[in-house]
Parts: sequence; structure tokens; C-alpha cells
Amino acid sequence: MRRVALVGAGVSKFGVRKATFRDLVWEAGKACFDSVPGLRPGDLEGLVVGAVMPERTAFQSHVSSLAAEALGIRPSALSARTEHMCASGTVGIRYAYAFIAAGLADLVMVLGVEKLNQPSGEEAILNMGAGVDREWEAAFGLTAPPCFALAAQRHMARYGTTEEQLALVGVKNHAHASKNPNAHFNKGATLDQVLCSRMISSPLRLFMCSPITDGAAAVVVASEERAREVTDRPVWIRGTGQALDGFQLTSLPEDYAEWPALGRAAQSAYRMAGVTARDVDVAEVHDCFAIAELIAYEELGFCPKGEAGRFVADGRSDHGGDVVVNPRGGLIGCGHPLGATGVAQAAEVFVQLRGEAGARQVPDAAIGLTHNNSGMGEHVVMIYGREPA
Amino acid sequence: MTYLRAVDPFPLQSADHNKLHEFYARLAAGRLSTTRCAGCGRAAWPPRGFCPECVSDAFEWVDLPAEGVIHAFTVQETGLPAGFDPPRVFAIVKVGGHRIFAIVRDADPAAVAVGSRVRLAPLRVADDPKGQPRWLPAFALA
Repeated sequence: MRRVALVGAGVSKFGVRKATFRDLVWEAGKACFDSVPGLRPGDLEGLVVGAVMPERTAFQSHVSSLAAEALGIRPSALSARTEHMCASGTVGIRYAYAFIAAGLADLVMVLGVEKLNQPSGEEAILNMGAGVDREWEAAFGLTAPPCFALAAQRHMARYGTTEEQLALVGVKNHAHASKNPNAHFNKGATLDQVLCSRMISSPLRLFMCSPITDGAAAVVVASEERAREVTDRPVWIRGTGQALDGFQLTSLPEDYAEWPALGRAAQSAYRMAGVTARDVDVAEVHDCFAIAELIAYEELGFCPKGEAGRFVADGRSDHGGDVVVNPRGGLIGCGHPLGATGVAQAAEVFVQLRGEAGARQVPDAAIGLTHNNSGMGEHVVMIYGREPA
Repeated sequence: MTYLRAVDPFPLQSADHNKLHEFYARLAAGRLSTTRCAGCGRAAWPPRGFCPECVSDAFEWVDLPAEGVIHAFTVQETGLPAGFDPPRVFAIVKVGGHRIFAIVRDADPAAVAVGSRVRLAPLRVADDPKGQPRWLPAFALA
């Protein structure tokens, strides 16, 4: 297989946006092209668009072609849309990676985009129910928060994880988001504010949850030869892994505090990258809810099983700790425009490994990891390096 | 022009729409049931159209116990989709060796606990577009 790298990245402003689906594509695409001086849309051979539900939120299918035209890309090797609920963006990056590694393409953009907010907030939430099983789950009114609440209940009962430790994930990620001008939230949040925010689904409170957000993000993925032509600082894709335990809640392992598929996806990625958890300097993990970040510390190997609450409380996942987790603010602070999230995670690792992250820079970051999931049993992990594997 | 919302959140359950219609017919009669593979004898939850173990599509319907125990639960207080009211108790109920996802109906959230006994309490939801009643497999505290 050929070596593959990221050579450019750009992100739109995330938030409740007064913008069309196409406006968001333009914003992220323009920011991405601006990050690669000299690169023109006509140079790209393909586009993969990660988007979950434009049919419901923008009454628009066929979005990869729409986005290609909006961006001026004329695909000659790869044109596709990926939908894998919240992991759609990273699944798109894996497609581009595979095509390029196999020699079927040399230069491809991956763009994730979602316009979730609707005139009625209740409708926006109703749409989110499309991500769980319609007949056996969503018909009861299920969306994501109660699923992850079940994991939080179990983690607290089994390991003694506290509400305060869950809240500290919210405090950390809101603080990180305050240094990210593209984040949905910029004001930070105190421990009291998180603990006193309204209950969504017990024990998860508002500031322990990612909001409903509009946004887009884009990266350019290149073969080694093309990467070295367009930049002197490529960020290499060193490893990737994906694993699934199940789709329905009742197909997952009986103890919802255990996410073995994430462990398996991580081990695949580490093995391929030739690194271990200790080597990771910066990690963008899928904190759709605070409990997800805690369980990710454990399954990714940053700390032993059951110790994630102490890990965050001791500052080991913040600047100055073992690994900086979610320096851009994570899904809790940046928001979670479904298809855009995985690509925005890659864009953050791109700027971190190039030393371009400004106020939120992790000093001398050399190895970065992204973790994107779609439910508690479906995980994708990517590992990036300043140097190739 | 009215801002339109066209979505039916409930499954079509009748014989001309759903291979598992027998499940809903039994549920309407107050029975909880599932499929058992005629090839290898495994019972599934939820019921399914062919067996992932032996790939047989020959199955029979078997009744499950009407009572179960709460294995895990959460109470959603805000952020429910349009058409669903809080507080809503979502639970994983253990019934006859299966884990079943459902709501616990009409419960005081403070009275619900892991280990609470529950019984089947089918929930009637909006009729289908032809006016046929529809039911979901919900539970209530026993």
C-alpha cells in the first residue's frame, strides 16, 4: 500500500447557523483550499461527502455531486457520499485513504457537512431519532441521550464514577472551546454551572451533552508523491481501525460501561501505526456525552478500566497531562454536526501536528488520534503522525 | 404555506406491510412473543426474518413471559422528540433470558429501580394510515 497524508484542512463556524446547506459546504471548502496555497479545485480527482440526514434537514439528496459542483471539483477518480450516523466523516476519510493507498486516486477532498437546526427545535430532535432502530427503539421516542445515560449509570454503579467527574469533562471541553473561534460555545462553564444545568436524561445534564449544531469541515487527502508536491508539512495517516459490537441497544454487551468494539478498533489502528496509547500526544475523542469521553480513555488505553473518572479529575487528559483530549473543545464544546464531526476532528489533528493550533496548541505534538463513533457499539479510530509509519 | 412535518414515527404493522405482523397481532391480544428458528432452535429478540446462526428462514412464534425485571434504566426529562412527552422512563427489561428495550409506562420515576419487577403493558399509539390500531411492547411496574 502507498503512504497517504493530509495536506490541507478547514472548518466552518459551528453553531446554530443562519446558513443553507450549500453555504456550509462553501465555508469549509474555502477554508480548506486556503490552507494549501496554490491548490485549485480543478487539481482534485475526487470528493467524498460525509452527511447523515440532508434528506430530512435540507430536503436534499445527491449531496456529493452538489458539493463537488459548489466547490468546483470535477471528480475523475472518486465521488461518493458516506452515511454512518455520527461516524460518517471518519468513514469518508477511510474511503479516501483506501482509494489513495491502493493507487486508484492521488488527491481527494473529504468534506463533512450537516445542517441540523430547524425552525422547530422539537423537529430537529425528532430527526435525530432516525439514528436508532425505527421499529424497536425510535418508535418509543428514543434518541441518543438515554442510550449514553445507560452507560453512565452503569459506569457509576460499577466503578464509583461520580457526577462531578462526569461534569469535569464538560468543564474541560467548554474551556477548550473558549479558545476555538469556530466552536459552538465560547464562554466556558464552571463546575457549578455544569452540575446545575438541567437534567436531560439521568445522570446526564445539559453541559455534559453535545448540542444540535450546524457546520462543515474538509480535509484534502493525498498520495505521498502529490503530498510532497503541495506541502512540505504533510500529516501522515499511520493507522486506522473500525469495529462494531451491534446496532440495537439490546445487541450490545450486557454491561453498557464496556465498549469492546472501541478497544478492538484502537488496537487495529495502533498496530498498523506502530505506536501505543502512550505515544499519543493529542486525541480528538467522540464526547457526544461526557460518559463517552470517560469510556474512551479506558478503551483507547489511556488509563486502566474503571479509572477514567480519576483520570479527568487529576487533569491527565488536559494540557500538561498524559494526553490532551479534545483541544478544539470536543463535541460538547464545538457541537456535533453529525457528518462534519469526524472531519473536524481530523482537521484539528492536522493543525496540531503542524504546530498551527494557536492558543490551543499542544506543544510539540507528533502523534494524534481521532475516535468517532455511531452509538456505543460502533467505533472508528485513526492515528496520524508528523512522520510516516 | 404551513410548515410541513411529514413523518410517521411508528412502524407499519399489518400483514401486508410487515413480515413480523404476527408479533403485533399477538401484542394487541396482550401477549409478548418472538421468533424461534425451526432450524437450530434459537429464539431471538427482537423477532427476525432469518436466523443469523444457521441462515434458516423457517421460524415459529413462541410466547415470552409477561413479567420481567429492570436491568437498566434512565429518566429523560428534556430533549424528547416532537410528539413524545417527558418524563419518560427508558429501560432494558430482562424477560425470559432476553434483554428487551422499552419504556416503563405511567411510572413515578422515583419508584423505578434496577431490579424492579415489571409486566407487559402494550402501548397503543397512533393508528396506521388505514385506521388500523398499532401497539408497542411497553411495560409497567408490576
